[in-house]
Amino acid sequence: MTKGVLLFASNNKSVDYVKQATFLAKRIRKYMDLPTSIVTDTDIESDVFDYVIHSNDMTKNSTNKRYADGDFSDKTLKFNNKNRASAYELTPYDSTIVMDTDYIISNDLLNNCFVQQKDLLLYKDATHVGMHRIVPEFEKISDTSVDFYWATVIFFRKTDENKMFFDLIKHIEENYIHYRNMYQFKTSVYRNDFAFSIAVHIMNGYQTGNFVGSLPGTKFYATDRDVAVDIKDDEIKILVQKNKRLGEYTAVNLKGSNCHVMNKFSLERIIDQ
Amino acid sequence: MLAQNSDFDYVRQACLAAMSIHATNKDVSICLITDESVPTKYKHLFDHIVEIPWGDHAKDEDWKISNRWKIYHAIPYNETAVIDTDMLILEDISSWFDFLRNYDLFYTSNVYTYRGELVDDNYYRKAFKKYNLPNLYSGLHWFKKSDLAHEFYTWLEMITNNWEQFYKSAGSGKKFALHPSMDVSAAVACKIMDIEHLITNNKVKNPTFTHMKPKIQGWDVNFAYRWQDRVGVYLDSDMRLKIGNHQQSGIFHYTEKDFLNINLMKKYEKYLGI
Repeated sequence: MTKGVLLFASNNKSVDYVKQATFLAKRIRKYMDLPTSIVTDTDIESDVFDYVIHSNDMTKNSTNKRYADGDFSDKTLKFNNKNRASAYELTPYDSTIVMDTDYIISNDLLNNCFVQQKDLLLYKDATHVGMHRIVPEFEKISDTSVDFYWATVIFFRKTDENKMFFDLIKHIEENYIHYRNMYQFKTSVYRNDFAFSIAVHIMNGYQTGNFVGSLPGTKFYATDRDVAVDIKDDEIKILVQKNKRLGEYTAVNLKGSNCHVMNKFSLERIIDQ
Repeated sequence: MLAQNSDFDYVRQACLAAMSIHATNKDVSICLITDESVPTKYKHLFDHIVEIPWGDHAKDEDWKISNRWKIYHAIPYNETAVIDTDMLILEDISSWFDFLRNYDLFYTSNVYTYRGELVDDNYYRKAFKKYNLPNLYSGLHWFKKSDLAHEFYTWLEMITNNWEQFYKSAGSGKKFALHPSMDVSAAVACKIMDIEHLITNNKVKNPTFTHMKPKIQGWDVNFAYRWQDRVGVYLDSDMRLKIGNHQQSGIFHYTEKDFLNINLMKKYEKYLGI
C-alpha cells in the first residue's frame, strides 16, 4: 500500500503556489518522512517531488478573489482552485493526504492518518492562532445551513465510497450556483471548504453522521489579516490582528504545531528569507 | 393526544399527527381526548375518542392546559405515550416503546434542533436553570398505569389548579411566570416528589423530539422571527420531511400553527388513501 501527500499548485500573477508547494514538500519530507507529488500547470524541474502531474485544467472556470496582506494591503487575483475533486483520480498513492500549499508542516502528527480505520478524514474544527477568536464562518457554511469542514487537509483511501464522494464534489463544483442557493451562502467564489462540507452532509443522508472521521491533532490557522513574519525549523512567528483594532497586532510564536497560513504574501516572504 | 379548540383548530392538528402516526407506525393504537367534534372524514384515524372528564377546567383559557392532568385518568390504555398535537411522527418508533417499558413514567429531557444538535435552551428556559428545575419536556412523555404515575398526575392536578402558589414556592418566593405551562408544572411535580432519577434519562438520545422554537436553533441572528421564515419545508411524496438542508427523523414538533396547511393535510391524505 503506497502512501504520500498530494499538492495542487497553479500560479497567478502575484502568488507563486509552486514555490509554496516546494517549500511544503521539503517540510513534509523532514517532519513526516513522506513523498509528495504535485498537480500543476507549471513546468517544474525539481527533485523535491515524487511525481509531477501536469494538468491543463488548473485555470478552468477560475474566479477572482481578494487576497489580503494584513489590514492595509490586498490584491484581487485569479483563484485557480477548481480541481481538488480530481485528487481521487490523479493521486499516485493508495492512501493520500491532500494539503493546501499554504499549510505549514512542523510535526509528524498527520502520519497517524494511515492507521485510522476511517477511509476519509477531515478537520471540522480549527483553532485560530490568536486562540480566543470564534469565527462563525468556520462553524457553519451559513447561519441556517450545514456544518463547516475544512478542505485544507484531506486524508483518503481509494475506496468506492470515496470515489462517490469525490464525484459528488465534482458535481457540486459544476452546479455551484444551485448549491449556493440551496445551502444559503452568499459568496459566489467557489470554495473547496463549502463543496466538501455539502458533500459530507449529503453522504451522511442530509443529517449529521459519521461518514467522515476527524484528522489527528489540532488545525491551527492564521487568516490573511494576520501576518507571518518568520519561520525557523518548527517555530513560526505570526502577527495576529487585534480584533476590531485596525493595524494593531499581537505577536504569537507557534512551535511544533502545523499551521494554515492564509496570508500568501507573508508566507512567500518568509519562504524567501 | 388531548385537543381543545380555542381560536385555533387543535383537533385538525391532532388529525394531522394521527395521519403521521398511521404513515409510520401502523400497529399503534391512537386515542384523542377532546370535547370537540372530530370531522367524520378523520374519525377513523383514532381508535378511541374520549371526552374530557369532569367538565372543562380550561373554558376561560386561550392556551387550554388546565385539563392536561386528566390524561392519565381518561386514557383507556395501560401504557401510553403522550404527544402534543403539533407534532409529526416521521419514522417507526416502536423501539422507543421497548425502552420506555423500563419506566413507570418518563419525560424526555433532551431535545434537538432541526440540525440534530442538542438544545441548550438559555432563552425559553431561564427559570428552569435559575430555580434548578428538572429539564423536562412534556411534549413527549410516557406512563404506565402505576402508583408512581398516579401520584405524579395527582400532584400535576394540584399544581395546575394552584399554579401561582406552587410556582412561587419553586421560585424561592419569586413569581417567575405569567402563565402556567405543562413543562414547568411537570418539573415542579418532579421536584416535589424527588423522582428525576426515576422519570428521565439524559444519557440516551431517544425518546426525544426535534423542537422548532426559533430561538433555540443555534442561529446567530437575534430578532423576532418564525422559523418558517428562515428555512424551507420540503415534504416529499413518501412523507419524508426536510427542513432547510436537513432530513428529519423521529418526532418533529413544529410549534408554529400555520405550519399546518391544506397542502400538508392533502399530502398525508393522499399517502394514506383518505
